[in-house]
Amino acid sequence: MAISVEQFGRTYGTFTAVEDLSFEVASGEIVGLIGPNGAGKTTTLRSLAGILRPTSGRVRIDGYDLVGDPIEAKRRLAFMPDEPHLFEYLTVEEHLRLIARLYAVEEFEPRARALLEELELTGREGSLPGELSRGMKQKVVIACGLIRNATTLLFDEPLTGLDPLGIRRMRATIAARAATGAAILLSSHLLHLVEEVCSRVIIMDHGTKIADATVEELKSRADLAEAGSNLEQIFLKVTGHR
Amino acid sequence: MLGASLYIIVCSARNRLHVRLRRLREPRYLLGGIAGVAYIYFGFFARMRSSSGSATGRRAPGASGMPAGLSMLAATGPAIVGVLLLGATALAWLVPVNSGLLDFSESEIQFLFPAPVSRRALLMHRLMRSQLGIVFGSVVVGLVTPSPFGVSRLRICVATWVLLTVSKVYFTVITLARTRLASRDPGARRAAWLPVAVNLAAVVVVTTALTRAFMDGPVTGARDALVRIGVPATSGLSGLVVWPFVAVARPLFAPWPGPFLAALGGAAIVLVSLVAWMLYSDDAFQDAAADAAERRAREPARQAATYRARSAGWTLATTGRPEVAFAWKAAMQTLRAVDRRGAARAAAILVSLAVVASSAGWSTGVAAVLGVLVTGGAMFAVLLAPQVLRMDLRQDLRHLEVLKTWPVKSAVVLRGELAWPGALITAVAWAMIGVATLLSAAVFTSAGLGMRLSVGVASAILAPALVFAQLIIHNGVALIFPAWVPLGNQRPRGLDAMGQRLIVLGATWLLLLVMVLPGALAGGIVWFAFRSVLGSAVLVPAATLATVVVALEVLVAAEALGPAYERIDLMSVGRAE
Repeated sequence: MAISVEQFGRTYGTFTAVEDLSFEVASGEIVGLIGPNGAGKTTTLRSLAGILRPTSGRVRIDGYDLVGDPIEAKRRLAFMPDEPHLFEYLTVEEHLRLIARLYAVEEFEPRARALLEELELTGREGSLPGELSRGMKQKVVIACGLIRNATTLLFDEPLTGLDPLGIRRMRATIAARAATGAAILLSSHLLHLVEEVCSRVIIMDHGTKIADATVEELKSRADLAEAGSNLEQIFLKVTGHR
Repeated sequence: MLGASLYIIVCSARNRLHVRLRRLREPRYLLGGIAGVAYIYFGFFARMRSSSGSATGRRAPGASGMPAGLSMLAATGPAIVGVLLLGATALAWLVPVNSGLLDFSESEIQFLFPAPVSRRALLMHRLMRSQLGIVFGSVVVGLVTPSPFGVSRLRICVATWVLLTVSKVYFTVITLARTRLASRDPGARRAAWLPVAVNLAAVVVVTTALTRAFMDGPVTGARDALVRIGVPATSGLSGLVVWPFVAVARPLFAPWPGPFLAALGGAAIVLVSLVAWMLYSDDAFQDAAADAAERRAREPARQAATYRARSAGWTLATTGRPEVAFAWKAAMQTLRAVDRRGAARAAAILVSLAVVASSAGWSTGVAAVLGVLVTGGAMFAVLLAPQVLRMDLRQDLRHLEVLKTWPVKSAVVLRGELAWPGALITAVAWAMIGVATLLSAAVFTSAGLGMRLSVGVASAILAPALVFAQLIIHNGVALIFPAWVPLGNQRPRGLDAMGQRLIVLGATWLLLLVMVLPGALAGGIVWFAFRSVLGSAVLVPAATLATVVVALEVLVAAEALGPAYERIDLMSVGRAE
């Protein structure tokens, strides 16, 4: 399994953000992580990315324990957060170069060129983040995640700030990466996107997993039969908002 | 609107106080608070009390028998300050000064601008809001005033409040008038030129009087020069012109109680007139506030613009040690923020001056002054620059979310973060030590060439050890107590934050002493064993050994701090208010 999460929990002081969460994501699979605000999605993704330390449980990336062997685990990971954090004094091309150095990326030049082209950043290689729009910054973050051969991609609201064309291209990019064998876990409030690109969904609420199945399986569940025919209706039913 | 303004002010102050009191539940803030209170007490109040005690039996303030210099200052001070204030206000027409009164916050724009509130009410609201800061600043000035008498401190506090409030209102008036100068309405434009013309006429009158005063015989000294600056305020048309400025300055110098209260009355007349003028100019408010809002909106872009996308002459190779990537990243930050040509020019001028001053016999005085300055600069670079220059984890903790995802060992991160600031500070220190050594003959006249060279070389060898030792300590503190370290340009406020800074500073110096001690002992042994054989040159091997020992300690500390980096959590990194 590319991602293996066992009884993962995370608390902030006395507040429990995520509790006893277990799931797996296989290579080539795209799994959607959905839930209402405060469900624990971002905490889960940040913990899987090595930003937050799990309070309990175990996270393995390609078999490497994220706490026990963080270097090997992180080498295989790419995390694209919803809020683009860039170094304000490095240009677009220098961000990619920095990542290439840290992750030992081979054949940097052609890969960078292709990626910049794919994400419509050609011509902005020498721009500083302060000169870019939010959407472009988001694309730079995505480029930094995709420049290396990560086997596991974590997307937190990947479409935030992108224009309609960017959204379309992003969907294609995600699907293409999964087709090459990457395991993808993405969190989004855009349920139609999740329904369209994900092969499976995990629904979280109040820090716990309340569903983990394909959309078809959810539709066929007896208790959800009356919910409706799309993910949005199922989501509202499962989270008790309908 | 007055009620709403008071409500906003009181609620903001109350909530801020609540936040600060609530955070005292955390030990780190409580400790900081205790340290801050102790500092204020021992720094100000205990000093006040002891000086009050020693002043027992002395005359009350304002009584006769004042030292000659002070009585001269009391007599001519208002005139001198008044003339200088006139000059400053005239300059403000040429160079735009931002009083901050029109800088409405985002929430004020969102809530108050669409509200059915007059422009004058909005101006009064801003003036009232500014009072918290002005009163606080005045109280601080009153506290630090070296006087054993409480009433003197109160007098200075009130006088400072008058001066600061008048300045704020006056500069706002100028901002509004400047906006009216660009008005499409010819009548408004003409009216806006009136205060400019009046101010210009005042400057001409005062300059003429000033010229006459200085032409009236040669200046005999500094005191004479000061007296002559104040002459235009004493009589005739110039006296009338300068009166409002003198009236504002007079409370600062007037003795308690009668003259002070009278002076306060005069200043109050000026203040009320200015507020009336400001409220009368409210028609330009909308445009001026829009300009201010636009300026504020441009603020992030301007901050980003402090970095200019230019070639830094260093392209990072995509293979190699990751420490270099961190050093390169910090180097890009420096090279993109610093005007390299300007820095190179300044360095060239410094070195040229040093060479000329050290080689020319006639310039021994210049060489000595320059030598002392550069020696001080070198000491600052070695002992304080590692605290001031925060281009390491203290700044990069802001990017912890990114750093933590990188597949890099903790010790590598630490070594990489220290590499560039350490190298940069060391290079600056070396340059200054070099220049100081060059000029040392003029400064240390009794020391021989051998001794001066030995001290210079030994200092250069020791410099990186001291710099890197401090950097690892500062970064270690940032990792172990992340919430105690302001990130980037953050300046957390409050007594507890001040106390935290004092504790961190004290702990840093203590740790530096502990860290340097083994190296100093090793160097001391070398010095003791070989000083009779090598003479002053023994300082060089002693410094080398000390540096090697400290360098090893730095490397060991970087490894030892690894677990702290692994454990550091995004949530434990503090954020300023």
